[in-house]
Amino acid sequence: MITFESVTKRYPGGTVAVDSLDLEVPGGQTMVLVGPSGCGKTTTLRMINRLIDPTSGRILLDGQDIQQSNPDTLRRGIGYVIQQSGLFPHKTIEDNIGTVPLLLGWKKGRARDRARELMGLVGLDEDLARRYPYQLSGGQQQRVGVARALAADPPVLLMDEPFSAVDPIVRATLQDELLRLQAELHKTVVLVTHDVEEAIKVGDQVAIFRPGGHIAQLDRPERLLRAPADGYVENFLGFDRGIRRLSFLAASGLSLDDRAVVSEDTAASRAADAARQAGEDWVLVTDSGHRPRGWAAASDLEGLPAGSQAGQARLEPYGHTFDVRTDSLRAALDATVLSPTGQAAGVDDDGQVVGVTTYERLRAAIQAADQAAPAADRDSGGPAGARDGIEASGETSAPAGTEPQSPAPEKAS
Amino acid sequence: MNWAQVPTLIWESAYLGIVPALLGLVISVPLGIACTRWKWLYAPVLSTTSVLYALPSLALFIVLIPYTGLTDTTVIIPLTLFSLCVLLPAVVDGFRSVPEPVRQAATAMGFGTTRRLVQVELPLAVPIVIGGLRVAVVSSISLASVGQLIGVSSLGYLIVDGYQRDFPEEIYVGGGLIIALALICDLLLVLLRRVLTPWRPRRARRQVEPLPIGVPVRPLPGGAA
Repeated sequence: MITFESVTKRYPGGTVAVDSLDLEVPGGQTMVLVGPSGCGKTTTLRMINRLIDPTSGRILLDGQDIQQSNPDTLRRGIGYVIQQSGLFPHKTIEDNIGTVPLLLGWKKGRARDRARELMGLVGLDEDLARRYPYQLSGGQQQRVGVARALAADPPVLLMDEPFSAVDPIVRATLQDELLRLQAELHKTVVLVTHDVEEAIKVGDQVAIFRPGGHIAQLDRPERLLRAPADGYVENFLGFDRGIRRLSFLAASGLSLDDRAVVSEDTAASRAADAARQAGEDWVLVTDSGHRPRGWAAASDLEGLPAGSQAGQARLEPYGHTFDVRTDSLRAALDATVLSPTGQAAGVDDDGQVVGVTTYERLRAAIQAADQAAPAADRDSGGPAGARDGIEASGETSAPAGTEPQSPAPEKAS
Repeated sequence: MNWAQVPTLIWESAYLGIVPALLGLVISVPLGIACTRWKWLYAPVLSTTSVLYALPSLALFIVLIPYTGLTDTTVIIPLTLFSLCVLLPAVVDGFRSVPEPVRQAATAMGFGTTRRLVQVELPLAVPIVIGGLRVAVVSSISLASVGQLIGVSSLGYLIVDGYQRDFPEEIYVGGGLIIALALICDLLLVLLRRVLTPWRPRRARRQVEPLPIGVPVRPLPGGAA
C-alpha cells in the first residue's frame, strides 16, 4: 500500500506541480493517475521512487516513510516502466531484463534464467533473448520494459505512460496483457496516462487530476462514468460515457425472453403462435442443439403450408450473439442494435440460446443496475452488484453467475 | 634514401600519433564527466582547449626543450594538448547522446551515479568518443612530423631529409606514407568501434561520420552482426 499524506511539490520558481495531495493506493490494485499534461500526475508517480522528492508531506510505502530509505535500495524494490521503454541499447534483451537482479547481486546465469522466464510471461519469443533492443518492434520493446520491471518480483510497479508510444492496435494488446498479468500477479500498480479510455480499461481505481496538482475525482471506473463529480470530470471523460459505462454491467443482469425461441422442428403454426404470445413479430429458430439458426417472421410462418416446420421458413441472419455469463450489457446492446429484428440472442458458454433481448428489457436492466448501484456503493468499495435487482420478473433469467462474487464482466473492449 | 629505416620511421610516427591521442583521452574522460555534471564548467574549459590548439607547435617545442630536452616527450605534450580540442567535445557529446529515458530508467532501477556512469553512460558514449579519437589520431600522426625539426624522428624525417638533399621523391614517399598510416589507423579505429558496439543499428553504422577527411568505410558484407 502506498500512502500520500498532504504531499506538495513546489519547483524553484514557484510552480506547484502537486498541491497537498492525499492519496491511498491499495495493495494489489491498479491505480491510474489520469489528467491533462501539467496536472502533476507524473510528478506524483515519480515521487514514489524518489526520482523527485516532495517539498513537504510524507509518502509511506507499507507504512514506511520512503524518505528514510536509501533511494537506490528503494528503487530496486519498485518496478518502473516508461514511455519509450528506456531499454539499454547496448545490452541484449536478456541482460536488459536481468538488470535489477544483477544489481541485487544475483549470479549472471540465474538472472538470465529469470529473464527467459519473464519473456514467456510477457509473451516474448525466447529467440529474442540475444537480440539488441533496436532489433525489436516498439511493442516488443515495451514488453521487454514490462519484463524488466518485473524481474526482481517487486511488489510495486510504476508505469509512466507505458503504452503511449505504440500504435493503437498494439496499445490495446498491451493493455489486455497488463490486465492478464495483473490478474495473475496482483502487483500494486500505479499507472500514469493522459488517455482516459486507457484509465477506464486498466484501472481498478482512477484518479482524475485537474491542473494545479489536485485530484478532481478518485473512483472506480464504473462510478466515474455513472456519477462524475463535476463538470470538469464529465468533460474529461468525454462523449459516450453512458454507453461506455455499460461495459461494467454484466449481461447476466438482463432478463431474456425465451418464449419466442423455437426449435427448427416445431410446427410452423405453433412457432407463429409463440411469436404472437410474446408480442413480437419474429421468432428465433434454433437447430436441434439449441444453437441459433436465424429469425423467422411470424407472418412468413403463417403463410407456410399446413404441416410445415419452422425451419422451412425464410430465415434472416441472427447477427452476432452475446455470452450471458461473461459479456457486458454493452455487448448485449451492441448485438441488439446490429440485429435486423432489433433483438439479439444471448447464449451460454456452449453457444446454446438462453433467450432474446428487446430494447425494453435492456432498458429495464440498466434501470435496475442504476437503482442497485448507490446501495452497492454504500455497502462496499467492491464491484457494483448490477445483477441482483432484476431477477424477480418471473421470466427466464439468464443464469446469473454461479459465484455471486465473480468479478465484473470483461472490461471495455 | 635508405629503405631499411622506413619500418622504424613508420613505427615512430604511429607511436607519436597514438600516444598523444590516448593521453588526451585519459584527460578528456574525467574532464568531460566533470563538464557534463557541472555545465558551467564546459564553456571555459572548451575555450581553453581551443586556445591551446591555436598555439604553434614549434613554439611549444621550444618552450618545452629546456624542461624535457630533445625527446619524444617534447613532441607528445603539445600533441596531447592539441587532441583535447577534439576529444573533450567528443566525450561531452557522447554523454549527451545518452537518451534521457535510458538515463532515467537506469536511475529508477537503482543504479547509483557511479555505476550508471560506468555501466550505462560510458558504453553508450563510445561511438562518438571513438569518432573524436579518429580525428585526434589522424591529426597527431601528421603533426608529429613537425617534431623532426627538433630532431624527434618520424616519417617527417623523409620530408626534411628530402628537402635538404633536394630529393623530391623522398618527400613524396614521406608524405604518402604519413597519409597511408593515418588512413590505416583510422580504419583500425572504425573496426574497434564496430567490435565495441554490436548494439548499433546497421543504418547508423553506415552513416557518414562527421570527419574532416574522407575515409572509405566499407559496408559490412551482409548480416547485422
